[in-house]
Amino acid sequence: MGNQLGGDFLVAGGSERTERESFGICNLGTRYESQDFTWHAVASWTWDAQDETCGICRMAFDGCCPDCKLPGDDCPLIWGACNHAFHLHCILKWVNSQTPQAHCPMCRREWQFKG
Amino acid sequence: MEAVDDSESSQMCNLAVLDSLNEDLIGEIDDSWNGFCLSTEALLKGNGDLSFASDFVKQVQNLCSRGLDSLVIEHFLGSLEETFEKNGASRFWRHFDAYGDLAVLEMNDQDQQDEIQQVLHNALEEISSEKQYQEKCLSLLVHALQTYRENKSDGQISSDAKCNLLFSKYHLTLSSVLMTSLPRHFPDVLHWYFKGRLEELSTIMATGYEDDSALQAEDEMDLDEKSKLSCRTGKMDIDGSHLHGIFLGNNKLVKNIGMLVRDLRNLGFTSMAEDAYASAIFFLLKTKVHELAGDDYRSSVLESIKRWIQAVPLQFLHALLAYLGDSKSNGSPSSGLKSPLASYPSSDYYGTGTPSEGLVRWQLRLEYFAYETLQDLRIAKLFEIIVDYPDSSPAIEDLKQCLEYTGQHSKLVDSFISSLRYRLLTAGASTNDILHQYVSTIKALRSIDPAGVFLEAVGEPIREYLRGRKDTIKCIVTMLTDGAGGNPSGPGSTGDSLLEELNRDEENQENFGLDDDVNTDDKQAWINAQSWEPDPLEADPLKGSRYRRKVDILGMIVGIIGSKDQLINEYRVMLAEKLLNKSDYDIDSEIRTLELLKIHFGESSMQKCEIMLNDLIDSKRTNTNIKASIKQQPQPAADLREHEMSLDNINATIISTNFWPPIQDEALNVPGPVDQLLSDYAKRFHEVKTPRKLLWKKNLGTVKLELEFEDRVLQFTVTPLQASIIMQFQDKTSWTSKNLASAVGVPVDVLNRRINFWISKGILAESIEADSSDHKFTLVEALVDSGKTAANVGSCEELLGVDEDGERSVASVEDQLHKEMTVYEKFITGMLTNFGSMALDRIHNTLKMFCIGDPSYDKSLQQLQSFLSGLVTEEKLELREGMYFLKK
Repeated sequence: MGNQLGGDFLVAGGSERTERESFGICNLGTRYESQDFTWHAVASWTWDAQDETCGICRMAFDGCCPDCKLPGDDCPLIWGACNHAFHLHCILKWVNSQTPQAHCPMCRREWQFKG
Repeated sequence: MEAVDDSESSQMCNLAVLDSLNEDLIGEIDDSWNGFCLSTEALLKGNGDLSFASDFVKQVQNLCSRGLDSLVIEHFLGSLEETFEKNGASRFWRHFDAYGDLAVLEMNDQDQQDEIQQVLHNALEEISSEKQYQEKCLSLLVHALQTYRENKSDGQISSDAKCNLLFSKYHLTLSSVLMTSLPRHFPDVLHWYFKGRLEELSTIMATGYEDDSALQAEDEMDLDEKSKLSCRTGKMDIDGSHLHGIFLGNNKLVKNIGMLVRDLRNLGFTSMAEDAYASAIFFLLKTKVHELAGDDYRSSVLESIKRWIQAVPLQFLHALLAYLGDSKSNGSPSSGLKSPLASYPSSDYYGTGTPSEGLVRWQLRLEYFAYETLQDLRIAKLFEIIVDYPDSSPAIEDLKQCLEYTGQHSKLVDSFISSLRYRLLTAGASTNDILHQYVSTIKALRSIDPAGVFLEAVGEPIREYLRGRKDTIKCIVTMLTDGAGGNPSGPGSTGDSLLEELNRDEENQENFGLDDDVNTDDKQAWINAQSWEPDPLEADPLKGSRYRRKVDILGMIVGIIGSKDQLINEYRVMLAEKLLNKSDYDIDSEIRTLELLKIHFGESSMQKCEIMLNDLIDSKRTNTNIKASIKQQPQPAADLREHEMSLDNINATIISTNFWPPIQDEALNVPGPVDQLLSDYAKRFHEVKTPRKLLWKKNLGTVKLELEFEDRVLQFTVTPLQASIIMQFQDKTSWTSKNLASAVGVPVDVLNRRINFWISKGILAESIEADSSDHKFTLVEALVDSGKTAANVGSCEELLGVDEDGERSVASVEDQLHKEMTVYEKFITGMLTNFGSMALDRIHNTLKMFCIGDPSYDKSLQQLQSFLSGLVTEEKLELREGMYFLKK
């Protein structure tokens, strides 16, 4: 693993050498500079819904609905006009089963997808 | 006295005869008896002088005519015995007196060997001539008796039988005389003699391959009758003519031995002689096996041992038996008494003639002995053999063949288990080594015994032991995932092979499926049924039939842990660790491993791991998208100045937290410009992936940076914390630890720990302030001591600092478990307050019974035990005689 990392590192260094001039953040009057610089950060994503779990399937919003395997783009959230959020697949199932007019499962208002 | 004997024995024969006796007759009988005794004595002491013969014959006939023939025979035999005891036996044994002690000593000395050979030959010659002479005397007596009977016109047949009886009686007497006076060391002497001869023979055989033709020519000069006979068979021979050629050279030697054996047989030492040369052959065979097998496991020796058996001992025996005339007398090979393995293609060893039954028996005996010796040798060294398993497979193959003959599998199991206990299952052995050995054991024994019966027995102690080790799961997962085996000291290839095992398994399962399909075919089912074989005797009936007991390495490894869930969990943690420390998005090998694991453990159980890998793939895509979006939007001029470090320098791994193992979140103040870039990145993410948002885990990830000093440029790959620390020194070359800690946003002790990385690299220097609780760190501008950091001069690459201090970004399984278990601490304390003391089992069962709500108790007994022992070390509980108490 060490070797592999080292090898990649050299490649990365070479490709970014051209940009060396463009970031001089380290050049603040000191006599050393950090020039070749890559910051590989880690983040987690969230749907940023008000609630933790989907009101229909009771699964976490940041997870996925029972029919899906992969969270994120494959199983998106959708907000209604009433500002309640559900897994898209869950609410579609609900809406399709309700004729002629579907209501929000949470507040019983008429269901409309938020613009 | 003889007269008294005389009258007494006559009385017993016929009392009526006594009445007819008169004084003259008695005198006459007395005279002839005395004459007989004298002539007998003279004859026996005469040393070949047969001048008394006629007198002797006359006396005998005289006595016989009086009906005293039985008395005559008795007396003659008696005096024969007496003479033999006096002249023959005692003199014979006296030859060997000198070797009474020496027989126990080393007999490797060539001179001594020759001497003993000489002595033995001389002694045998002497005693044989003595015997021959006595036999001659006996035949004189027999002749006399015969002529007397012929005169009386007795039946020829009965006298022949009588004469045979006489000779056999004589021989019996002879051998019993010898046996009763047998010195204890004589068998040893014989043994050493044969050993010496055989060794000589085998060296001649060994060297004879080169110059056999010369030898043959030389020896054909002094061929006598017997060797001419073998010579003829040798010439008829097609395949073995080469061997025979050499063997002719040894004919003299064999003939000598044969003569000796025949002499010994004649003296009644048949079984002793046989024992002696058998033990010598076995001894030689044993030495040969040890010499050939030795400590080299890289080549198969069985074939060469067999070849040697045919070349030396069997040729010897063949010649010997031929010389003794056994091969003729022992019946044709087509007789029904043939040994069961006689059909074994052994007939070509001795040319066109089929081997005699005796020889076949010998061959089987020798081969069995060779198998057994080799097997014992290999079993004793099985541990070492398995240590270098893939290289030592020839030795394993040998052992397999040996065991097929001897069937002593249980010996293997016992000896191997004890050596395992002694050498492997000790505190000193690393878990990795044990696992590697376990895998090698499985592989090696699988080839010996495909049904896995003995493996079951051998593997049990290892599994038992490994269950008691804490890092077993971790090691297994490392072995599964790491190509390098994760253990530089151990044999490197075995780690590889566990991954290969995953591959192999995949193929196996495909084949297995195929088998099932074919099984539906009736014909195939019938064939399968016919090829059914019972389990070996040693099989444990509780373990099910061999069809259920498929030898599957991964299955056996998982069997150590008990459930695959634990293994998968550990794998997930390890995968998370690996993925989070990746600075590129290259996960090909991980995907491969995961696919293999999915095949083995099922897709659903690997779901979370798949999502983790998917996150990495998505991150790569998102990362590229975000970078692309920057280029599309022309940056305002003001921004350009401000953003001297651009988003190009930032990469991100974006994870779906719910599916990853709990991640250790520590606060960290990253340097201002980086922080700015990160929030920019998050903003762009929000634009690209509305309405999703990013939450940074600032302490995770990797930073590649290059430090440029006056005289050198250094490159490092470090953790964000280490990067933040060193970047603080851009503005100010000297910091106190307290100030630095607050600037970076971590506790002082964490800082002190982490800053050691830079100190050890010679970038920072530590000095203690006047206020002793505070440390001061200064940037080292130039290398003063060039020797110290010479290796660092120039562009130097460093591994992740993470590895050094063992800081992990993912909470370990133990930590998770501990967190989950703390919920039950209250229950346990409550229980113990009520009941006073409880055993582990009872606590486990009570928890299972009562904690059914949220969260329900689903831990194993081992997990509970380790949690409880944690509480004991925290001094909350006390463990006495298997019972847990509350600590007061």
